[in-house]
Amino acid sequence: MFNRVLIANRGEIALRILRACRMLGLEAVVAYSEADRDSLPVQLADEAICIGPADARRSYLSAPAIISAAVITGCDAIHPGYGFLSEDAGFAEAVAAHGITFIGPSASILERFASKEGTRRLLGAHGLPTIPGSNGMLRDDLHALNEAERIGYPVLIKPSAGGGGKGMRMVRTPRELETALKICRSEAKAAFGDDSLYLERWLEENRHVEVQVAVDRFGNGIHLFERDCSVQRRHQKILEETPTPALTPERRLELAEKAVTAIVAAGYQNIGTLEFLVDGAGSYYFIELNARIQVEHPITEQVTGIDLVALQLRIASGEPLGVSQADIRRRGHSIELRINAEDPEHDFRPSAGQIERYLPPGGPCVRMDSHMYAGYEVPHHYDSLLGKLVVWGETREEAISRARVALDELLIEGLPTNVSFHRALLRSEPFLSGSITTNLLDRVGSAAFLAAAARG
Amino acid sequence: MADRTEGQAPERSLEQRLSDHVAIDRLADDLLPALAAKLSASGLGELEVREGSWKVRLRRPAGEAGASGPGGHPMRRASDRVGRPQPGHAEHGHPPGAIERTARLGGPAPDPATGASHGATTRPDGDEGPVARTVPGDTHRLIAASPAVGVYRPRPDLRPGTQVRAGDRLGVVDVLGVQQEVLSPADGLVGARLAEADQPVEYGQELLIVELLDADGTTAAQRAAAAAGGAPAAGGATPGEAAPAGAAPVETDTLGAPREDAPPAPAAPRDEAPPAPPAPRDEAPPPPAEGAV
Repeated sequence: MFNRVLIANRGEIALRILRACRMLGLEAVVAYSEADRDSLPVQLADEAICIGPADARRSYLSAPAIISAAVITGCDAIHPGYGFLSEDAGFAEAVAAHGITFIGPSASILERFASKEGTRRLLGAHGLPTIPGSNGMLRDDLHALNEAERIGYPVLIKPSAGGGGKGMRMVRTPRELETALKICRSEAKAAFGDDSLYLERWLEENRHVEVQVAVDRFGNGIHLFERDCSVQRRHQKILEETPTPALTPERRLELAEKAVTAIVAAGYQNIGTLEFLVDGAGSYYFIELNARIQVEHPITEQVTGIDLVALQLRIASGEPLGVSQADIRRRGHSIELRINAEDPEHDFRPSAGQIERYLPPGGPCVRMDSHMYAGYEVPHHYDSLLGKLVVWGETREEAISRARVALDELLIEGLPTNVSFHRALLRSEPFLSGSITTNLLDRVGSAAFLAAAARG
Repeated sequence: MADRTEGQAPERSLEQRLSDHVAIDRLADDLLPALAAKLSASGLGELEVREGSWKVRLRRPAGEAGASGPGGHPMRRASDRVGRPQPGHAEHGHPPGAIERTARLGGPAPDPATGASHGATTRPDGDEGPVARTVPGDTHRLIAASPAVGVYRPRPDLRPGTQVRAGDRLGVVDVLGVQQEVLSPADGLVGARLAEADQPVEYGQELLIVELLDADGTTAAQRAAAAAGGAPAAGGATPGEAAPAGAAPVETDTLGAPREDAPPAPAAPRDEAPPAPPAPRDEAPPPPAEGAV
């Protein structure tokens, strides 16, 4: 095991990693930017070191600054948290080149899973279903029509060179396809200088379900069941829960087992998450791999009793898993609410400023992972996550009741937060019935959703 | 090779523009070959140099980054907690000519065999590091702060009282073998050391005080010392002017006053300025390992 870990991240995850280090008896050094000088992880760390200015490119994203900080503070491991450099193969390689352990998959493994398309092909070859699509790029209109017929309408036209939804178009009929192909070609040409297109089946109403896995250096792999992250606003997760209400217990288990089998076969190591889309019929399709700890990992910890960050540290240090799949049991239901510094009254505009008062909720099976404290100045430079309210219950209903009680106790004064939105969400029919799909909030509109929930 | 975009650095004086040209020449002639050598010797994928409002970035082709780490440099353990600058020192100066370097891992890049300039780009960038800090309530001195996290190596020839110009190199901070320069934030005399040679330092850590030269070519510390020692006030400084400096938080040190082991302060720019009188107190400097007080 390591002696001293440099935590190269901020906010609640820096605090979470600090706690895991303490549990394992490791000293922890928090690397921070000037904007985070007064943050809670900096105050609680064994040592803290300023690595750069507020601009993340010169602090949390600066590999030399982070590695230099680790070297001069005598750290033998670096935990990158999530975001920033957590899945950067070049960073992982540079860390290793300095004789320091990168807490995560090795650079070569990160490289292997760096491309989404490549990862889909690789895991598809190891038995994971992927979204049906055209066989390669579309040669001409006739090819497109034949392929669309084979895949089944509606289909999504996607530019090969694209990203971020640019140049994509959904069509429901052959006639629409013919018209849209011309537009998409010229759009793709203009935007990316490349007009090659391909087709993918359009999944109308889908859920986001992901499987937590852990694989040690000896190729022992386990899954820690799934999480449902369908409650999203503009592709940002707001609330996560486990188990997923979208699949039957048998299908959940089948999904998790397929995921861990495929990821072990593909040579992955350390903890990771496989994301799937689940359509209305309960079919699931692999979309991407997250090679890091995730924001929503606590709900898995709540139902399995396993400290995922500690597990991540142990695997990175070369220890075997120490548990087999049969040892992993899931009990009850857990929900996480992401508490963000954003204003639901004004289109969820991010807010910054001082936390004037803060009272976290308590009681049995309530967990608040947050770096907030009264007097803390929320910087505007980074994401708006203030904390995560995590609850557990024997049943989904109990977990929801507990979440409501906890939310009513939670007091944050000084800046707008999305707490009111969560209150409405926990009383809304689509959430209570477990039927929220990833595009619901955006389709209905968050404001309309809030209003409807208030009436209901 | 360097084209400055309008708008990023508006209303630049003739002097500033001249210094830009000097900077560009130096980038092309001196820095780039040195950087190319440094890049291939280091395990880094990308090097970036900022000089004032200019930036040069070199990358090696993808896949080569980090292939050879600078294995030779020692693992240092910060025996003491790295000093953290106190709140209230957060005000940053942006002196002209400030050099600051960052190094970063990079993606795809041009062929290094064709020379560094092939892979180099220059562009203006107003983003500068914490080159200087002010002392609250004290307009007579500035503090040179660390531009990076690494190991501090001050210029060995600098002594308290050595005259420096704005932009002069005061030392370097070694970041994984890459030297990032610590530059004087202003014209003045070298004052107290706030960090020791070979000490690990964090970003923004206070390293060295620079006593500003006033119009008469003396520093406030000199005048304060003169006033306190009963000598005639130098350069017309009045006791009233000297008092605030004496009350400044950093005045616990032998600020700017030549120590016995230090060479006398070089001649001030103006003839009429008398040499600084010796410090009235015989205190040793505070233990500099305490770093930023």
